[in-house]
Amino acid sequence: MSKNIYLPKLARIAGIKDEVPGARGIKTFFVEFPDGDGFEHECGQCAMISVFGKGESMISIASAPAVKEYKQFSIMRTGRVTTAIHDMKPGDIVGVRGPYGNKFPLENWKGRNLVFIGGGVGLAPIWPVIQTAVANRADFGKISVFYGARTSRDIMYAEALEALRGAADVHLSIDAPEEGWQGFCGFVPANLLDKPQSPDNAVAVTCGPPIMIKFVIKNLIGMGFADEQIYTTIENKMKCGVGKCGRCNAGKDYVCVNGPVYSWAQLKDMPQEY
Amino acid sequence: MEVILKKDRLGEWAAKLGEGADVFAPAFVEDCWAFTKVEPGGEVALDHGNTVRPAKGFVFPQREVLYRFSQDSGGAPRLTETLPDDPRAVVFGVRPCDGRAMVRNDKVFTCGFADPYYQARRERVAYVGLACAEPPSPNCFCLSVGGSPDAEDGLDVLMTELDGRYYVKALTAKGKDIVVAASSLFSEAQPADRSEAESVHAAARSHPQRSIAAMDKVAEGLKRNFDSPEWDALARACIGCGACTYLCPSCHCFDINDEITSRSPLAGERVRTWDNCQFPEFTMHTSGHNPRETTGARLRQRICHKLLYFVENHNIQQCTGCGRCITHCPVGIDIVRIANVMEEAAGQ
Repeated sequence: MSKNIYLPKLARIAGIKDEVPGARGIKTFFVEFPDGDGFEHECGQCAMISVFGKGESMISIASAPAVKEYKQFSIMRTGRVTTAIHDMKPGDIVGVRGPYGNKFPLENWKGRNLVFIGGGVGLAPIWPVIQTAVANRADFGKISVFYGARTSRDIMYAEALEALRGAADVHLSIDAPEEGWQGFCGFVPANLLDKPQSPDNAVAVTCGPPIMIKFVIKNLIGMGFADEQIYTTIENKMKCGVGKCGRCNAGKDYVCVNGPVYSWAQLKDMPQEY
Repeated sequence: MEVILKKDRLGEWAAKLGEGADVFAPAFVEDCWAFTKVEPGGEVALDHGNTVRPAKGFVFPQREVLYRFSQDSGGAPRLTETLPDDPRAVVFGVRPCDGRAMVRNDKVFTCGFADPYYQARRERVAYVGLACAEPPSPNCFCLSVGGSPDAEDGLDVLMTELDGRYYVKALTAKGKDIVVAASSLFSEAQPADRSEAESVHAAARSHPQRSIAAMDKVAEGLKRNFDSPEWDALARACIGCGACTYLCPSCHCFDINDEITSRSPLAGERVRTWDNCQFPEFTMHTSGHNPRETTGARLRQRICHKLLYFVENHNIQQCTGCGRCITHCPVGIDIVRIANVMEEAAGQ
């Protein structure tokens, strides 16, 4: 990491994959650093991506820590910086500083069953955990992945999710019926309720729109999951990423430094400022 | 190191220091007290109340360039780091509340990830404090938040006005340097000087101030009343001008933005500016969702940051009791009153 905490490293966009079309589309960017100038990260950490002349945005690192050749960022087009990133082409240069934040405590979950529940672009922050768990398949019990999007066209990582089958039970959902759709129709929390998960020796990890997270947690608790068995990752507006600019706090915690990963046992007692 | 300076030699000290540094002292300029650069041979008089703006700006300026960027069409971006290389500065007339606020700012900018811009300036700036003989503002409440009119922390030198002279106490290596630089102006402090200074301090501490009645219970009261509808009532008059935090000596929140001077080829600066938790945009997500949507939630953030969260994170109140946020609030929002109300309220 650079000695100057605000100075990003320059990195090259090696590849871009269209995930979801539309005005609020999602693209995945594979970013490479010059030899020896990259950084290691942990599952759940984020990085600040710069487009010079536009600004910076905090984005989850979606690749697994074991992948050293590139960092993967899956970005929804929402504002000035993310629109500028969406307009970039392979070979273009972005600034990257990080990694920031805490991590999912995957090392404590060995031998346990893992239930992942994602919605929309909220699959990206938990994707490195899913990838790491599947790559070390023998270390874990049963792995289940729930993922939902508005329509079948809005499903991100579609091929990669299909490729998980065999290693994991994959349960996809879309909000409303479509011709030819084989999976569940309805919201993500309803899909989870439809396929009850045992809390025995299990950990649940969820990320998605706030309203989805709220009902997923409610349903997990209904199935007997304890607060300590439920993990999520939250987001807030950030400028510095290093606990100084003062805006991403929920109570005394700066999400950029103390978060973004929290167990429900921690989060339920924090002010709901996220 | 404790020495005596005759009052009429203060200008000579400033002039001597001016040979190797920029010297600032409070002056009444454009209807307000402001830290103002002392020109060579200029007068220095320490007869001010408190400055409208705090002393933090010498170390954490309202706007600063973090780095410059440029990019030719089809080329790669080039970044040029712009770490501060301002001349050394000596700031006279700093009130102890502003000195203590720098201790709070040090915690923010040097704990965890060290901020090289802040650190570079902090090393170059010497704060020469002036003990308060009486509260410089009717809204002073330093005693309620662990401070005092002669508090030394965060300062490099503390001066106390005695009859016809100053009792000058160097507190840090930087402070000793600026005394030694003009050693011929000073005489050694005698026991009688010290006891006179002590009685000035004692008198100042017994001077009536505004007061938070049970400071040790305020953090708990704020926690208990986090969801209280009282916040909306307290903030009803707030116009969101942000004067409270811009003028606060320990508010450190900032924004980072790109300012461009040329679109093609691209050229510009990444700039840090003071930002303000009283503005709705401060926390608004790109989606439009805002975790602190109401003025009540934003007032609660300011008060809780000062008197609850900072205590939880650093074991001290962030507020140092200067009273500026009360004095300069156009609608009379009052942190002392709020602390007392929240400490007493039973909670929801």
